[in-house]
Amino acid sequence: MSFISVEDVKFSYDEDKNYVLNGLNLKIEKGEFVALLGHNGCGKSTAAKLLNAMFLPDEGTVVVDNMITSDEKLTYEIRRNVGLVLQNPDNQLVASVIEEDVAFGPENLGVPPEEIRERVDKALRTVGMYEYRKHAPHKLSGGQKQRVAIAGILAMHPECVVFDEPTAMLDPSGRDEVMNTILRLKENGITVVLITHYMDEAVMADRVVVMDNGNILTVGTPREVFSQVHLLKKHSLDVPQATELIYKLSGAGLKFDEMPLNTEECVNFLEGVLK
Amino acid sequence: MSIIEVKNLSFTYGIGTPFEKKAVDDVSLCVNEGEVIGLIGHTGSGKSTFVQMLNGLIKPTSGQVLLEGKDIWEKSKEIRKICFKVGMVFQYPEYQLFDETVYKDISFGPRNKGLSEEEIDLTVRKAAKFVGLSDRLLNKSPFDLSGGEKRRAAIAGVIAMDPDVLVLDEPTAGLDPKGREVLLAQIMGYHKERKNTIFFVSHSMEDISRIADRVMVMNKGRLEMLDTPKNIFAQVEKIESMGLRVPQITKIMMTLRERGYDITDGVLTVEQAFSEIINLLEKEGKI
Repeated sequence: MSFISVEDVKFSYDEDKNYVLNGLNLKIEKGEFVALLGHNGCGKSTAAKLLNAMFLPDEGTVVVDNMITSDEKLTYEIRRNVGLVLQNPDNQLVASVIEEDVAFGPENLGVPPEEIRERVDKALRTVGMYEYRKHAPHKLSGGQKQRVAIAGILAMHPECVVFDEPTAMLDPSGRDEVMNTILRLKENGITVVLITHYMDEAVMADRVVVMDNGNILTVGTPREVFSQVHLLKKHSLDVPQATELIYKLSGAGLKFDEMPLNTEECVNFLEGVLK
Repeated sequence: MSIIEVKNLSFTYGIGTPFEKKAVDDVSLCVNEGEVIGLIGHTGSGKSTFVQMLNGLIKPTSGQVLLEGKDIWEKSKEIRKICFKVGMVFQYPEYQLFDETVYKDISFGPRNKGLSEEEIDLTVRKAAKFVGLSDRLLNKSPFDLSGGEKRRAAIAGVIAMDPDVLVLDEPTAGLDPKGREVLLAQIMGYHKERKNTIFFVSHSMEDISRIADRVMVMNKGRLEMLDTPKNIFAQVEKIESMGLRVPQITKIMMTLRERGYDITDGVLTVEQAFSEIINLLEKEGKI
């Protein structure tokens, strides 16, 4: 059984059955890092909110770690298990001192005080914000705030963290900070679902799922997905500039075995034809 | 002729408190009429404080902003009039929509400018057209629009005041690739027709490299660099040391150049890179 299993899910925000998700099927394995792509309004954020029982499907089922989200008795356990990090860091921090903010989750779970201390310190170390534990959140940069928000979730000991465009409001170095933190979570065995518009972030995932019109358009490893440049462009999505250049060159008759995903690969491929 | 001249502009937050911080430090530059200035810098580098001094929202601690040769603070009681000349679109402007209908929201600025109903109607429709909002949407509540439409409605509200200088603070943040593309094209279309001056603040080096005539790089409150995108992004190390990045395509072509291939400095777009590679192959008779 997969860690997360979404089966034939339909979901609509209104009574008229304008389905935002229209028969979605998706399986995510434990410890996997999955990137979810798609244009605005394709249903990816809705899908994310179904994963931790924030929304419940109109039809079909969502099962997380053997718990079905439609069972109300399991709601809190599912939400502890699947943390959600959103776009705007300012909307996610509640306390006036960073370590208190991180302690908010475990406190509400009724974790004993000594253990809260331990969890908070560990979570802050994982995201590299331990030195700032006594600081006030509003003085931090965007990337630092996002890392504190991630620590707040880690302190609840989740098995999975869902990120909904966590870097959209950050500057380039803030984006790097958050992406490095996400990769560290994966190393620690946490399942990661990343919703993003940045293709250079999606290439770091184990698997890329492209959504369109409330359903899956294509799915595969980053290389498999980004090789379908034509399909992605047709659905108003982008590919990394490295991939686009090689795609254009192969259109002009040059031969490449595969599509590059990053700067280094692209340079090597180009050297291959220029030499 | 320069439309805006900034002279030794500085701003310090919380003077006399323990939180005193110099946000903008001795910035000077001249901007020509009709220029598009890209403004980059990491979070906290002073970009937003700087642009807010351009339309008098923040009063400089020292230094001057000259608009068409006149200090904007010369008659400080009339400082609010500057907002009509220097229009500002803040980050996530869709959060500032407030009126019952899109039409009323866009007309707020021109109405406060004291235009007649007829003129207001004309400017509202013109502004909506520039950002690609159809007439059908004008009578809707702004809260019923999609994210991208809301963003465009908010920008139309500023364009409707017909400012000579338009300041856009991260107008494409949070939009998907297509939404970004469309909005950029609309802004540039408007710019071409109106020939206004634009300040474009962005974290997207790809966007900046495509539309800016010149790029300002701010770091720790100072104006660190001011040059064409080509010359700015050619200095990869310096840019990266300030917590910024160059576009991926620029980096790829720079690396090839460093490895001894005959490639022009500062390639900014995929199209440019494509013709560079093709030219090189043709020159060497490989295709």
